[in-house]
Amino acid sequence: MRVVANSATCAVSSLCVYRLPGVFDQDEEGLVLVLDEHPDTGLHEEVRRAVRACPTNSIRVVENG
Amino acid sequence: MSTHTPPRYPFAWTPPMQMPEALKDVHESSAMEVTLPSGDTATLVTRYQDVRALFADKRLSRNIARPDCARISKDNDLFMDPHIDPDPPKHTQVRSLVTKAFTARRIESLRPYVQEVADELLDEMAAGPRPAELNEAFAFPLPIKVICKLLGVPAEDRDQFRGYVDGFLAVTKLPPEEIGRARQNLWKYLGDLIEDKRKHPADDLISEFIRVRDEDDNRMNEHELHFWCQGLLIAGYVTTASQIGTGTAVLLHRPDLVREIQADWSLVPSTVEELLRTQIMGSSVGTMRYAIEDIPLSDGTVIKKGTSVLLSEEGANCDPRVFDKPFELDIRRQENHHMTFGAGIHYCVGAALARMELQIATESLLRRFPDIHLAKPAESLPRALGGFMEGFTEIPVDW
Ligand code: SF4
Repeated sequence: MRVVANSATCAVSSLCVYRLPGVFDQDEEGLVLVLDEHPDTGLHEEVRRAVRACPTNSIRVVENG
Repeated sequence: MSTHTPPRYPFAWTPPMQMPEALKDVHESSAMEVTLPSGDTATLVTRYQDVRALFADKRLSRNIARPDCARISKDNDLFMDPHIDPDPPKHTQVRSLVTKAFTARRIESLRPYVQEVADELLDEMAAGPRPAELNEAFAFPLPIKVICKLLGVPAEDRDQFRGYVDGFLAVTKLPPEEIGRARQNLWKYLGDLIEDKRKHPADDLISEFIRVRDEDDNRMNEHELHFWCQGLLIAGYVTTASQIGTGTAVLLHRPDLVREIQADWSLVPSTVEELLRTQIMGSSVGTMRYAIEDIPLSDGTVIKKGTSVLLSEEGANCDPRVFDKPFELDIRRQENHHMTFGAGIHYCVGAALARMELQIATESLLRRFPDIHLAKPAESLPRALGGFMEGFTEIPVDW
C-alpha cells in the first residue's frame, strides 16, 4: 500500500493526523504531509478509515503501490 | 397555483432529547422545500451522499448577499455581509491565515490549559450552591476562556461581549432594533480591541491578523479583519458551549451510558462524536448556499440555477444509508463521519479544538462528579428557540 496526499485541497481538519500520527503530519500552515508512504500491514485498515474520514478527499491509497 | 406550504425549518425538536421527529421522513428524496422563519423558501438537501458532495461543489456559492437569495430571518442578516467574499480565491487566502493556529500540534499545546480551566471551574462548582446550573458554571466559561486566550481577548470582558453575541445570534427571540444594537456594540467592542492590540501586539491570533493586514492590504482589508475576528470569537465559543451543555444533558438523561463510560474512559471520544452527530445545536441555517449553475442530485432531482440551498447536516447525520439505527444514541459507534463540522474547503476550522474541549469537558465532569445527574426532569429543560443556536438554556445538575 502506498499513501498519497494532496495538500492543495486539504482543509486542515487534522483528522488524519489525530488518527495516525506516525503516517500523517502537518506543515506550518497545517496542510497534510505524508510521513510514512508505506505503513505496516497492521495499519492498513486504519489508513483506509482515515481516507474515508477526510472531509476533503485529500488522501488516498494506491493498494498495489 | 399550489396551496401547499413547505414545512417549517428548522424542524422542531422532539422532546425531551431526541432528534427532530421530522427527520425520519426527509430521506425519501434528495431534497425538499422548506419555509424559513423569514417566510422565504429554500431547498433543503437531505441525503448524506449529496450533502457531503455539495459542501465541496463550486457550483454552490457561499456568497448569499444577493437580492434573490432566500433569507433565514427578515431581522437578522447574519452571514450576509456584502463586503465579504466567502468563495475562493478570497476565502482561501483568509483561511490559510487562520489554519496555522489550528494545526493538531497547536491544539495539543493548548490541552494542559484547557484541562486546568476545566478543573478550576469544577472546583468552583463543587464549592458553590447545589444544584448548579451547568451552562453558567461550566459549559460557557470553559470555551470562552479558551477562545479568549487564543484570540487575545481579555477574559474579564466576557460578560460584556457575551450579551452582544447573544443578541447577534437572535432570529425571532428579540425585536430587530435590539439585534441591530447588539451587532453595533459587538463591532465597536472589537474595533476598540483591535486598536488596542495595534498599539500593544502580543502572541495571539488577533495580533497576528493585524500584522498581516497592516503589511499587505490585499490579503485582508480593515473590514475583513474585523469580520473574521468577530466570526472566530462567536463561532469559537457559542457552538462549543452549547454542545458541552446540551450534549451533557442528553448524556445524563441516560445514566446507563454514563456508567458505561465511567467503566471505560476510552469511550469518551466516540461518545463526543455521537453527541455531535445527534445534537446539532444550530440546525443547518448556517449552510445557506446559492446555486450558480444547475446541479443534479443523486436521485435525479435537479437544483436549478438561482435556487437557495441549505445543506442539511442533521439530515446527513441520520441518513439510514450511512448510519445503522440512525436515531439511536450509540456511544460505541465506529466510523462516525458525521457532517456536523461540514465538509470540503469550508470544513470547520475549529473542529479539532472543539473536539479536544468536548472530550476534556465530558471526562473531567464525569470523573469529578461520579454521581452527577439532572436535577429536574429532562422534559422540563427549556430549549432556546428563535436563535441561531438551539441548545438547552438551563441545565440544573446535582451530584
Ligand atoms: S483529514 Fe484530510 S482535510 Fe483533514 S488534515 Fe488530513 S488531509 Fe487535510
